[in-house]
Amino acid sequence: MHVVIVGNGVAGTEAALAIRRRLSPQDARITLISEEHPYFFSRTALMYAYMEKMQRRDLEPYEREMYRRQKIERIQNRVVDLDADAHTITLRSGATLSYDRLLLAVGARPRMVPFEGLEKVKDGLVHFVSMQDLDHCERLTWSTEEAVVLGGGLIGVELAESFVHHGLKVSFVVREPYFWPAALAAEEGEIIGEEIRRHGIELIVDQELKTIESDEAGRVSGVGLSDGHHLPAQMLGVAIGVVPNVDWLREVKSSPELGRGIRVDRSFRTSLPDVFAAGDCAEIGADGEVPLLETIWYSAKLQGQRAAGAILGDEVSYTPPIFYNSSKFFGIEYTTVGECVGVPSGTRSLYRRHESRPITQRILFDEAQVRGFSMLGSRWDHTLLQQWVAERRPLSYVREHLHRAQFDVEFGRVDLSKFQEEERTL
Amino acid sequence: MRQKGSLGWLKHDLTHRGPTAWLLTLGLFAFYFILYYGGRTLAGVPIPDLFTPIAQALHLPSKWTFYGLLYTLAIAIGGAYVIYKYRHNRYQVIRTSVVIFVQATLAFSVPWILTIFEQPEYYFSYLWPLKMEYFYPSTILSMPLPFILFSLLGSLIMVPLLGIFFGKRWYCSWVCGCGGLANTAGEPFRHLSNKSSKAWAFEKWSIHITLFLALLTTALVIASWGVGENYPVFAEQAASLRSLYGFVVATLLSGIIGVALYPVGGTRVWCRYFCPMAAILGLVQKFGRYRIRVKDNMCISCGMCSTYCEMGIDVRAYAQRNQDFVRASCVGCGICAEVCPRGVLRLENRWRRDPQELSMDALLNETYRG
Repeated sequence: MHVVIVGNGVAGTEAALAIRRRLSPQDARITLISEEHPYFFSRTALMYAYMEKMQRRDLEPYEREMYRRQKIERIQNRVVDLDADAHTITLRSGATLSYDRLLLAVGARPRMVPFEGLEKVKDGLVHFVSMQDLDHCERLTWSTEEAVVLGGGLIGVELAESFVHHGLKVSFVVREPYFWPAALAAEEGEIIGEEIRRHGIELIVDQELKTIESDEAGRVSGVGLSDGHHLPAQMLGVAIGVVPNVDWLREVKSSPELGRGIRVDRSFRTSLPDVFAAGDCAEIGADGEVPLLETIWYSAKLQGQRAAGAILGDEVSYTPPIFYNSSKFFGIEYTTVGECVGVPSGTRSLYRRHESRPITQRILFDEAQVRGFSMLGSRWDHTLLQQWVAERRPLSYVREHLHRAQFDVEFGRVDLSKFQEEERTL
Repeated sequence: MRQKGSLGWLKHDLTHRGPTAWLLTLGLFAFYFILYYGGRTLAGVPIPDLFTPIAQALHLPSKWTFYGLLYTLAIAIGGAYVIYKYRHNRYQVIRTSVVIFVQATLAFSVPWILTIFEQPEYYFSYLWPLKMEYFYPSTILSMPLPFILFSLLGSLIMVPLLGIFFGKRWYCSWVCGCGGLANTAGEPFRHLSNKSSKAWAFEKWSIHITLFLALLTTALVIASWGVGENYPVFAEQAASLRSLYGFVVATLLSGIIGVALYPVGGTRVWCRYFCPMAAILGLVQKFGRYRIRVKDNMCISCGMCSTYCEMGIDVRAYAQRNQDFVRASCVGCGICAEVCPRGVLRLENRWRRDPQELSMDALLNETYRG
């Protein structure tokens, strides 16, 4: 059997490894195709490479030797055509590859909107999701004094932090009234906003980007905001989300069914025979269901592993686990589990705030059980929090056992009794 | 990408094996060479003794005391930098304070004060097999009883017992001077350790070979003291092995190679590949309570943990496989947990995880298991 995997990101690589764990090289030939980088690298660590905390080689989670030992073939090229009847794909180099099973793990690309003046921009506008974006940022940093970051999400903060590290004057433009309302409540958003400002970044909320200005050479020179303000900038970082990287599939000979992403059922099968999709590019759900698009590292990893099972003929029915995520905004760590935003009205919220330090916990619950946790400024064991949600534990139980889920370093655990509490109905 | 400006260039060059880093390594080699061989003649060439006059000018008893002073200063200044850098992390602040304190007292002032009171110079922070002479009969006979008791009980009972409960970290990154220097003055170079599986394979052999040599040397020296009078050849062989071990392990590996290679080879070359004490403690650690716990499915494979592991452990390999682990070489410095942006890792001293009433696997993974 020849399994061809397009995309060597986390979903593609995990799928390849999962297949290899079960089938020897005699039973399965595995080919990984990617244009971006010859080896799997950790996209999540791009900012550390940019900030010189890591070297590029350190971004690779597996030793290069591993591909040789596991007999996983790699091709650095771009797939330009797919013929499902002939079971072949065509590369830009002109070569044609036949497959028995094909996994599309092509990920996502940065979302973009047609800002005014965009057509004149030839340089200075950066995204921050690919290795090429990193090259681009590094090339521009030397000639940049001021930068603007657009978009109130995680990649935006990462980019802003990296810019600050390089001594640029950074303005961070967020459309919403406070930072990241998609995940945080107003109080927490304010704390993060404070942290962002504390690092010398001008955080501009409630503003949209209207125009992009550029000089004669086409290099970004500034931006105009919706309130008429003008910000000078030689670099503009646009981090307003990502969209599944599927446009190229509209032009191939046999195109799988597409929604926002590649439509797959819960076993990662596309509408084409023997073609599967997983990771950021996959839109999961049978007809009539609300399609699921997950763009988180851990989800992509899990999807890659499950898709490998489906490729090998297992009965797979993917259901995402109780939602969890974690991140870090400069020095503040954040863990979220379960439902925290967009909860049904009537849900109760217990908000606990440390007297002097930016440490908070928010627990959402109703009469019967806890529903979600949003923890800021200290470390938590999400598996235990997830377990309490799954076990439908009442608030009283959770409060009594909360200390068990603390995950901070020795000597660093805060005394959970020293928190101001506020309970309210949402 | 390095930071702008010539200072940015220098910082990058010094911490990424650039010409400056190699120059610094050469300088350190020269320093150790003159420290060890100054005043002697090697192959007809007299080596100038630069450090004895400095020691005399400072009213220090010998150049070794001067070296001890430099060493203590390096740990204190580097330690202040580390405390500042990790000031939000109490584990690092406390650990580094203890390292500075132990170096300033047990490893520097106490032995010096002992000599002032005309007592034998004794280092309470070093035990057998790191300090092999403390087990030699000739040393034992010349020492006061409390020192002998500390040597024997410390090495044979305290070390393994503390190792069982806290892993080797209580020693390697809280007490030991070699680890102390690595974790303070060596901080800017900790990411240079080799993470490849080849380095791991080498480490497993090299460190246990030194341990074996340490055990063999100690045994032969003790035996030759007992029976040496009847077997002069045997006693001679034991003495030459002892001096060879002293030269290769104590001088060459722990001093010259161990420290001079910081800027190009990372900080824990000695501790990781050669230290016999680390070898024993590492074996104890594998069966004790210490381990690094990994939060399930939270690792984003960013690799900060592996990059900053001074012992060259590929921590990420465990973290991305959701595997709690104990590695013999882990010195429990805690930097992997500190640099992890997702708080995935934690150092623990427990036999096992909290009892879980209902396993997470049963609840969550069941649904998507094929």
